[in-house]
Amino acid sequence: MKLKKQGYNLCFSAIVLVLAAMPLLLRAGVITSTSFILFLGKCIAFSIVAIGLDLIWGYTGILSLGHGLYFALGGYAMAMYLKLQATGGKITSFMQTGGMTELPAIWKPFLSAPVSLFLIIAVPGALAGVIGYFIFKNRVKGVYFSIISQALTWAAYSLFTGLQSYTGGNVGITEITSVLGSIKGAANMGKMSVLFYISLTILVIIYSLSYALINTKFGKLLIAIRDGENRTYFSGYCVSRYKNFIYILSAVFAAVAGALFVNFNGSITPAQMTISYSITMVIWVAVGGRGTLIGAVIGAFLINLCDYHFSSGEMVEIWQYILGAIFVVTILFFKGGLVGIVCDQIPSLWKKNPESGVVVNE
Amino acid sequence: MAQFINTAFNALSLSSIILLTSLGLAITFGLMRVINMSHGEFLMIGAYMTYVVQEIFVKFFPESIFSLYYFVALIAAFGVTFILGAVMEKFVISRLYGREIDSLLATWGISIILQQAARTIFGMQGVNVQVPAVLNGGITIGKCTFSYNRLFILMLVVFCMVLVWYIMYRSNFGKQMRAVMQNRAMAQCMGINSRKVDMITFAFGSGLAGLAGCSVALLGSIDSTVGQSYIVNSFIAVVLGGVGRLAGTVFGSGIIGFSSIGIENYTSASIAKAVVLLIIIIVLQFRPQGLFTMKSRSLDE
Repeated sequence: MKLKKQGYNLCFSAIVLVLAAMPLLLRAGVITSTSFILFLGKCIAFSIVAIGLDLIWGYTGILSLGHGLYFALGGYAMAMYLKLQATGGKITSFMQTGGMTELPAIWKPFLSAPVSLFLIIAVPGALAGVIGYFIFKNRVKGVYFSIISQALTWAAYSLFTGLQSYTGGNVGITEITSVLGSIKGAANMGKMSVLFYISLTILVIIYSLSYALINTKFGKLLIAIRDGENRTYFSGYCVSRYKNFIYILSAVFAAVAGALFVNFNGSITPAQMTISYSITMVIWVAVGGRGTLIGAVIGAFLINLCDYHFSSGEMVEIWQYILGAIFVVTILFFKGGLVGIVCDQIPSLWKKNPESGVVVNE
Repeated sequence: MAQFINTAFNALSLSSIILLTSLGLAITFGLMRVINMSHGEFLMIGAYMTYVVQEIFVKFFPESIFSLYYFVALIAAFGVTFILGAVMEKFVISRLYGREIDSLLATWGISIILQQAARTIFGMQGVNVQVPAVLNGGITIGKCTFSYNRLFILMLVVFCMVLVWYIMYRSNFGKQMRAVMQNRAMAQCMGINSRKVDMITFAFGSGLAGLAGCSVALLGSIDSTVGQSYIVNSFIAVVLGGVGRLAGTVFGSGIIGFSSIGIENYTSASIAKAVVLLIIIIVLQFRPQGLFTMKSRSLDE
């Protein structure tokens, strides 16, 4: 068992090393497109949100279909700051179209960098705290939670598209650069590398934090909640508090990921807030392997890399079919995802007794 | 007064559409405990079937009977979605009983496939259905206008409600169905083929989605995302009403429909949508099991 855990960490280290080498390879000229590095930066953001989802779904057994909301909230907070940097604190074009003459009050805090950084974490965290407090206290669980989180995301999406003069409506906030200034093109390769390494560091920090967390008693409790919520209640633990904490934590991870994503993407739209985007995030975790942190990271990278290669050109139609099929097959037959296949199902083929093989979480 | 009646009629009409889309869910989710995320795509298939039947009528049949196409489309949509539902139950859903969350995710995968299939076959552009001549126009009483196609949808909903009620509570099959859902082992002991009952129940729920698709086709352009815009409201209607209760779904849809139109009078449509959902989420905090709940003392509901 210990060997397996070390294996997970080794695997994660390998991924980090490969990623770290990427900007160097770009320098050396092995990789020619800078947009690929930008894309990998987005993948880092995606794997952060996947880790958050894995904590709440893989470990605690709460399926949230609304993490796109927190991802987008973090993204919007970052984008608002960056937009104000770009306009020099003046009002944006979509506000002018909306008939405003001065900066609305909710945009004012984003004039300063430290306050913005604080709000990126605080707003989604507080929202998740309030929602989680009531939902978990009233013991809304299972699919009911999923449906409610889905409805919440839908409501937020309607709000963000409806309040056009505050949020840019359907277009979102566009024409922004990263925190370090423009990172597009060959001239800004240095800045891009710095940003890339910052993101990579954040990924490592979040992975280590989560890894430490799930190996404490707290982590064991999360698994206990997943496997037997009522038993955990009867053992004297206030389950709703634990659930709420992990919900807030994963929302904060999603928000951080969203903020990083905006830096690489250069825009944020309400599309990142939709239900389908949120479920796509769950797909990453499911395909990689729920219940293992490394699974979430692998899944996020793998699905997005495939998406990157196939979503242009001839494969675009077939890719959607493959994606759907992968998902159905994973859920039906490989509950442990890729990690489950490698660690449990393949070894169990060699062993004589097949029953000890597939240990998956119910 | 006239404006009030018009608003009330709009609200009633919206509620009826939500109810029509959630009836199928009330069966698959409420009775079978399967979260069918591709329900919206079955609705889309129903809508596209209407379009297909219309095109067939334009090409092969004389113009004099063109108006009949819609009634053929109703049957075709129900038939096609019924069969697809049965196939899906056989190969996917049957492996997922008792795994509610997994059924949600697996059917999401199917909905990705179905949406792409719709794009491949019918293209990215939305298609339009010509409203049959019988349903054009409306009755005007005083200053209020009731358009025929909305009245027709209302009647369709009433028809579907009666159908569902009859099948569930008056027919022999309904008895078997409820028996299987309540106590599978006991029902099997009584000689009921529970696998068959499962399949037909799921197919029937899907078929209702197809019917709903037909009525949605009357209201606007059809594209691959048409199902997505209805699915959230339908799920919320079922949950709000109380899972497993037909009457609950009726009330749930009514509440969503009336409050949406009511709030829309004061603000824009998208904000009204958000406000209604938020209010419902708050209501669900006080009644997590929905408004009409079955009393149960079991611990893990």
